[in-house]
Amino acid sequence: MIYANVKADSSYEGAKIMGTEAGNRHTAAKKAVASARAGQRGHRTIMVIGGAVIVVLIAAIAISVITAMNDGDKTGADGPLVVPATATADGGLKVGTGPVAVDIYLDYMCPYCGKFEAANHADIQALVDDGTATVNLHPLNFLDPQSRGTEYSSRAANAVATVADKDPGHVLDLNTALFENQPEEGSEGLDDAKIADVAASVGVPQNVTGTFEDRTFVPWVTQSNDAAFANGIEGTPTVKINGVVTDVDLYTAGPLRDAVTAAAGTTK
Amino acid sequence: MTTLLARARAIRHSNTWIYSTMLFSALVSLTASLVLSIDAVELARNPTADLSCNINSVVSCGAVGLSWQAQLLGFPNAFLGLIAEPVVITIAVAALGGVRFPRWFMIAAQTVYTLGLIFAYWLFYQAIVNIGALCPWCLLVTVSTTVVWVSLTHVNIRDDYLPMPRAWRGWAREAIANDIDLMVVVAWLLVLALIIVTHYGAALFS
Repeated sequence: MIYANVKADSSYEGAKIMGTEAGNRHTAAKKAVASARAGQRGHRTIMVIGGAVIVVLIAAIAISVITAMNDGDKTGADGPLVVPATATADGGLKVGTGPVAVDIYLDYMCPYCGKFEAANHADIQALVDDGTATVNLHPLNFLDPQSRGTEYSSRAANAVATVADKDPGHVLDLNTALFENQPEEGSEGLDDAKIADVAASVGVPQNVTGTFEDRTFVPWVTQSNDAAFANGIEGTPTVKINGVVTDVDLYTAGPLRDAVTAAAGTTK
Repeated sequence: MTTLLARARAIRHSNTWIYSTMLFSALVSLTASLVLSIDAVELARNPTADLSCNINSVVSCGAVGLSWQAQLLGFPNAFLGLIAEPVVITIAVAALGGVRFPRWFMIAAQTVYTLGLIFAYWLFYQAIVNIGALCPWCLLVTVSTTVVWVSLTHVNIRDDYLPMPRAWRGWAREAIANDIDLMVVVAWLLVLALIIVTHYGAALFS
């Protein structure tokens, strides 16, 4: 269409040229050629500017992608598998030595895990302290998509796994403190420094909190997460007592403690 | 070289090129809408469904599909694509077959599709700022919606259909004749890509 318009324009020019005196004809033709050239020059300028902008954008994207791929290693997901010292074969972090095995599957981003923790943390601590139960914490990371790309679940779980490896006496305290400071689901969560602060507040030494950002145990967390879901865990919180998923009320204090104590009676 | 360029420019403004682009993009958009609709049904049945495009924490259809923004009108947005894109496909095929639509029809198409474009970009904004996850099919819709809108606008400016002040029309036709629209679209799509890689960075590749 534009092409047709150009044709129409030039025939219009042609008509004008034919209508003028012979002396003017030459000038008019010259003008037409000049304006066509000017149009071409204008187009060339636009092409050069547009091309430059496009090249700059492509370069910026390439640089961002390369930087991002180099940073990619920092998430720890591609690192070697390092298993925490107190880990169980099925991906739990072992606390205590009691005869009743209590497996708790949780994600630090999961709101109901926070409610579970608020209701039961004192009982769980007591059951471990009095030698009734061995608690196996399974910190999962399936809610990573709920932290706007910061992978809060993985980072929090890694912090707990790090403490389980280097300072196992503080695992339950850190677990409780992380839920007391639990971010809203769908927010960016606590950053690494804030997680380290929370750990320090329950007594984890600085040489341990300082290694959180290495994300050493993220591959282990991911493996545990996948193992949990492969073995029939459907959501969090899920609690198993001696390997059996319990159906007691998890959100009020008491029922879980009673169930574990009852199990202790039969275990002994 | 110059004649080749001139010929390429002439082709770019031809019905065949414009409507073929529109047809192709609308088909892409329809395919993406279909996949997203199927996913939406799957997610309604099972919110933890492992969708094929849940690649990592950032590239996740599940996270996007479960947000309230994904059902702004009370049903999955993708249904709108299933409703609207076949109309665009019909217009493009008819135009390729030589049908000339009246001016009011093209203005109506432009108006409705502009609303669709605004909606697509509102969703893109929500995905970046509030949802924090990307879904590849949604991005495909964003890009193809942009291309369809641009081709529709191209043809409407070329045919002088848009109700704009005379000066604007001349300016718009001049811009199209100089391929400014093409550069702007390419630059625009690159800017979108840049926003995504800079906003999500390393998380995209983990």
